[in-house]
Amino acid sequence: MREGESIWQVTWRRFRRSRVAVIALIYVAFMTILALLAPLIAAARPSAPVPYGPNDVDIVHRLEKPSPQHRLGTDDLGRDVTARMIHGARISLTVGFTATAISLIVGSILGALAGYYGGAADWIVSRLIEVVLCFPFLFLVLGIVALFKPSLYTIMIALGLTSWTTEARFVRGEFLRIRELDFAHAARASGARDVRIIFRHLLPNALAPVLVSASFGVAAAILIESALSFLGFGVPVPTASWGSILSIAEEHIQYAWWLALFPGVAIFLTVAAFNIIGDRFRDAIDPRSD
Amino acid sequence: MLSYLIRRLFYAVLTFFGITVAVFALIHSVPGDPVVFFTGARGKHVPPAIIQHIRHAHHLDEPLVAQYGWWVRGVVTLDFGRSIFDGRTVVTHIAEKMPNTFLLNLIAFLLAAAIGVPVGLWSATRSGRLAERASAVTFFLLYSLPSFWVALLLMHLFSVKLNLLPLFGMTSDDYLQMSLGQQLLDRVRHLILPVVTLTYAQLAIFARFSKSALTEVIRQDFITTARAKGAAPSAVLWRHAFRNALIPLITLLGLTIPYLISGSVIVEQIFQWDGIGRLYFDSILQRDYPTVLGLTVTTAVITLFASLFADILYALADPRIRFEATP
Repeated sequence: MREGESIWQVTWRRFRRSRVAVIALIYVAFMTILALLAPLIAAARPSAPVPYGPNDVDIVHRLEKPSPQHRLGTDDLGRDVTARMIHGARISLTVGFTATAISLIVGSILGALAGYYGGAADWIVSRLIEVVLCFPFLFLVLGIVALFKPSLYTIMIALGLTSWTTEARFVRGEFLRIRELDFAHAARASGARDVRIIFRHLLPNALAPVLVSASFGVAAAILIESALSFLGFGVPVPTASWGSILSIAEEHIQYAWWLALFPGVAIFLTVAAFNIIGDRFRDAIDPRSD
Repeated sequence: MLSYLIRRLFYAVLTFFGITVAVFALIHSVPGDPVVFFTGARGKHVPPAIIQHIRHAHHLDEPLVAQYGWWVRGVVTLDFGRSIFDGRTVVTHIAEKMPNTFLLNLIAFLLAAAIGVPVGLWSATRSGRLAERASAVTFFLLYSLPSFWVALLLMHLFSVKLNLLPLFGMTSDDYLQMSLGQQLLDRVRHLILPVVTLTYAQLAIFARFSKSALTEVIRQDFITTARAKGAAPSAVLWRHAFRNALIPLITLLGLTIPYLISGSVIVEQIFQWDGIGRLYFDSILQRDYPTVLGLTVTTAVITLFASLFADILYALADPRIRFEATP
């Protein structure tokens, strides 16, 4: 660690060393911008970069190969795959970020309570984690999504409520370690209330390993969302999603290779990018790595 | 050891009740009348008298605590009721499909361990070198590949284009007319693609886990001591490091089982493999709630047993565990 550097500066310096990780970060930024601007980029206006809406049906031009008109081809209803892919990025990233945010909030609060108070609180949270970990993830998510009405919100909540255990365990572990450090005692001695100590003093110091698992969490959420959409339990039709394009591809696997190729590559690259960022970030915050 | 065992069993029983409470809460948090769990999609067309009868037969007219009591009693006696779809008991359905899933997952598990663990151990000893970094990146990319997409590509390549392997199913149509040897070959041919799909992602987990286990061991003082006293590097690795690195792998037994069962839903659905993953999926499509709930509880309890088994093995292998305060 160099003099005068903050912990985040050190982390960034170490993270930057990996070229792959920087490329992954740029890719994620690019996809996020694409997703945010999707309605401007792909819309049924001649001036738009992709002059088709994601749900513009054109039966005459169904299942067309990639061409200058439809750069990534068309699907079984003649919808432009480029437009659907760009709008699908919106769904994937929304689900990825929101589900992770839910699990981050639930996991941090429960993990903080367990780690800070110990004793009965710790016991209850630990038992709760054990119970949740027993359920095969996809069974639980599929079950919740099917029992309630399948929608974007159901998926995000189901994913968030089933994946908070990793974050909770990390926060709990960090809290057990740092709650006895001098600055925590100082905060307590100066009369700060528990809520203030937990959220102002301890949580910011426990955040780094949680952000690592959040990065993996976004990757996993995107993967599960696409699997759910592929199986027909994702966002309801006709909303475009990478997984739902792939489920159409399954019916036309004999010749419509472009339907299978592009969304698969998009899912793969996005999931890989978040996994790489998480992996490099984990190495960067590891004090043994310098 | 005995006190550890008792404590661990006590926690397992608690977790079991936690599982039953969780599923019970799930049933009762679904908007609408829980009677739909027994009438299924026909709900609206069932005469009130029959609804009343169902309500009484399934104790839905009793207080919530009593309902929970009946529910736990059902789980303990493996009575999850009857499938709405064909009226057979849910347990029969599960027992029928379980061996197929078990076969698929066992092969995938063993393959992933047989390849992943040696590669992980090897890469820990070659940390930072080109070959190690290349293998780490490969596993990382494998881990990020969506399994249903890989399944689609495999089917397209090996079944449609090359016509080498069957597209889906567990046996060919003329299976019963085959000789014993042909039957065996036919089953193996049907197994290849689903097994590959299930295995490749787990490879990364096994490799990564065994790599970090060995790396952790190598950093410890007793390895430094062994080196300092002049033991040959290979002896340090084989006699001291490997044996200690293999112990944490036991926990993977408990950890990968829910992961495998989750994976089965996708793989069995795509390859039309007649296991519990497909049963679960079909039951959800048909709104066959007793089967859905029965399978949810059953798979959770299987995981519970697996992790209990893994923990006991771990305690047998590593004495330090037995003396800690909590399991």
